[in-house]
Amino acid sequence: MTATWRKVRTLFATQFAEMTEFRAEIVIWMLSGTLSLVMMLVWMAQAGNAPGGQIGGYSSAEFATYFLSTWLISQLMVVWVAWELDLDIRQGTLSPKLLRPLDPLWMWYASHLAERVVRFPALLGLVALFAWLAGARFTTNPTAYLAALGLAFLGFCARFLWEYTIGLLAFWTESSTSFQEVVWLVYAALGGMFAPLAFYPEWVQRVAVWTPFPYMLGLPAQLLAGKATLGDAGRGALVLTLWLVVFWALRLAVWRRGLRKYGAVGA
Amino acid sequence: MTRYLRLIRIFTGATLAAQLEYRANFVGAVLASLGEVGVALLGIAVLFGQPGTTAVGGWSFHEALLVVGLFTLTEGFISVFIQPNLSKIAEAVRTGSMDFTLLKPIDAQFGVSTRNMNVLRVTDLLIGLGLTVYAASHLTVTLAGVLGAAALYASALVIVYCIWLVLSTTAFWFVKTQNVTELFNGVFGAARFPVTAFPLPIRAFLTFVVPVAFITTVPAQALTGELTPALALASPLVAAVFFVGARLFWLKAVGSYTSASS
Repeated sequence: MTATWRKVRTLFATQFAEMTEFRAEIVIWMLSGTLSLVMMLVWMAQAGNAPGGQIGGYSSAEFATYFLSTWLISQLMVVWVAWELDLDIRQGTLSPKLLRPLDPLWMWYASHLAERVVRFPALLGLVALFAWLAGARFTTNPTAYLAALGLAFLGFCARFLWEYTIGLLAFWTESSTSFQEVVWLVYAALGGMFAPLAFYPEWVQRVAVWTPFPYMLGLPAQLLAGKATLGDAGRGALVLTLWLVVFWALRLAVWRRGLRKYGAVGA
Repeated sequence: MTRYLRLIRIFTGATLAAQLEYRANFVGAVLASLGEVGVALLGIAVLFGQPGTTAVGGWSFHEALLVVGLFTLTEGFISVFIQPNLSKIAEAVRTGSMDFTLLKPIDAQFGVSTRNMNVLRVTDLLIGLGLTVYAASHLTVTLAGVLGAAALYASALVIVYCIWLVLSTTAFWFVKTQNVTELFNGVFGAARFPVTAFPLPIRAFLTFVVPVAFITTVPAQALTGELTPALALASPLVAAVFFVGARLFWLKAVGSYTSASS
């Protein structure tokens, strides 16, 4: 137990030290993920021009709340591990990492978590600023925040695992990072980055409930906006956990096959 | 002049030969293109999918689709012609290989801007063009409108090139510039929608601070015949000012360049 604990602490401490060096970049990366903000502005203008000042039961301020929440949650879910894997596999720099007595997955996982710690204060500042500018109002129920954070954490783990699996495709193909763009699109669409899920055609909603996406992005956002209940959060957590198991098994299978292929070529 | 045209032909040949070697990458490029156009299309599809919504910012569905087409076309232009060249400036400054470019008997700005090409992302150009033509076929378009739009879109491309050049040229002072261009991409994402779809203060920002409005909205307006003469004149003017500004900035940067070793 102490050995594991020491590993965890060292991993996190080194990755945190590395991430604090990138703090200026982290703010820039945050600002370059603007899709939710662009959608927010468009929907706010739409609601402002609509008769009655609302669309689908959302007023301009409610759109601001929803999309700012999505932005906040999506910022907690940023994962770049596929790029790192792509690079490491192609250039062979994966080899020294394999020599460590630890699955390289944990190193990247720690690095992503450490980045979140660096990102969070700046993120809160930006959200507060945008909320003040756009007139968004978040829920005052503290348990909703805890539930949203919990879902965001599960969602992050799920996203990390599927991105990791896509990154591992670099063992076989040169265009693994392009698959990522298409999967990102599905995640953004079904997660509710373009609009709250209720605004989608009904058949899309029926498909979406079976995927992890609405529970990792739209649902936590709705919790922050005060439009979802804790019961919804519990159901979402259950679905996400099931998907986590699936993604974990998938990533393990691909990893084992990939390593065999890597060993055959690289060693 | 003919020398420069000949150089462009040689550069294109070399870059094509280098890229067609990796045919498997084509699949990836197509996937990435589909992802990008998918984001733009879904964005407006959900907006217009709401019951009772017939216009966004005063634009009908096909008019908004025109903007998406021009946006995709511009993304293609960036990833085929601009990004493969200008993103290399930072590395050339860092490693000192900029010396070779500066020593050649051709204009250095021409050299860094035309050497490479990402042929694989031509799919973006095709999708963008297809969308634009499809959208235009559902609207009443005059010949004058098409010519005007083409001229204004040419100005738009000059504006995009100049913004990228200035951002990448900052590499002569700051070593990393990839982040700055990321930031531009973030703002440029707003060009998926006509600027009138945004609240008033944002519209002003997208017109006067970062002239995203001139890139997709203005040419689309020319095509639908809703362009005001003031904007029609402003676009080439902005392009000209940007071009001169970017040129001066580039010359100043090169002037202060002292190679990586000294």
